[in-house]
Amino acid sequence: MHEVSICQSLVNVVLDELAQRAIGAGRLKRVRVVAGQMHQLVPEALTFAYELLTRETPAAGSQLELRVPPLEAACQRCGWRGAIEPPIFLCEQCGAGVELKGGDELFIEELELSET
Amino acid sequence: MSTAHIHIHRAVMDDSLREAMATRAWLAQRRWPMFNFIGSPGAGKTALLEALAGVLAGRLKFAVIEGDCATARDAERVAARGIHAVQIVTGDGCHLPAAAVRAALADLPADGEGVLVENVGNLVCPAAFDIGETAKVAVLSVTEGEDKPLKYPALFRKAGALVLTKTDLLPHLRFDLDACRRALRQVNSVAPLFEVSARSGRGLAALADWLLQQKNATSG
Repeated sequence: MHEVSICQSLVNVVLDELAQRAIGAGRLKRVRVVAGQMHQLVPEALTFAYELLTRETPAAGSQLELRVPPLEAACQRCGWRGAIEPPIFLCEQCGAGVELKGGDELFIEELELSET
Repeated sequence: MSTAHIHIHRAVMDDSLREAMATRAWLAQRRWPMFNFIGSPGAGKTALLEALAGVLAGRLKFAVIEGDCATARDAERVAARGIHAVQIVTGDGCHLPAAAVRAALADLPADGEGVLVENVGNLVCPAAFDIGETAKVAVLSVTEGEDKPLKYPALFRKAGALVLTKTDLLPHLRFDLDACRRALRQVNSVAPLFEVSARSGRGLAALADWLLQQKNATSG
């Protein structure tokens, strides 16, 4: 469910970028988004919302491409660093709490345009 | 056909984050802390706020912002305790948007000292939207099952405090308290855990002290 609200923000940012750069309707082909595993976004729900929310906007017809970096953590006690599987946020080696080093990203990386 | 690539590095939730940042600046000017209470429908969030009204009386003059899909019932309940309460009705919205909270803040009495926000009952969506709060408070009741922190890690991971409610019911339930504590620690090893009962008052003083500590931290 939160995919729709998050996608509304995403579309607002995309439309703002297009307007700021005076990029005309139909030129945007692809939006590349990085959404770390922490955000638990369902790609199908996000792409469905994206198609719906871009209809009749200058971004209509563009594709949403999602990259999902895995969770990466560093132990604050023993220095261990590695991948963790949600929902356990503990050090594999010593059991202490870990700090997230990756997997919490949520940003637009790139807009792909067709040349006029 | 050739293509052009424009590299941008902009937050997906840029518009929402700007609202949250504006709220943080607004709160900082007034030295008000704002707590974002998030939990399932029926976790006992409103009862917790009602009980905190008693415990914090004379120590922190707070206002309440209530978020629900429909009705102003929660705001009415809290207002009955002599607390200034504002209801935001979100309709289809599954969480309180930062902009709605910011608008509601503008209507609060100027002589307040802090704000408690009760978000829409939901363990997923409200966790994804920063509203400019000082801290999120994750509310879980003992009637929901001890594994909820593992099923909804985003909220419990981001929370500045964890509150386990309805502990007066423990004798009547098959609820594994130790397993729940373990699950909370697996997701969040640092936030303080408050085991409370709004009905008996158990644990509320410790929670109130923590809320006041955060206020003092915001006052520098």
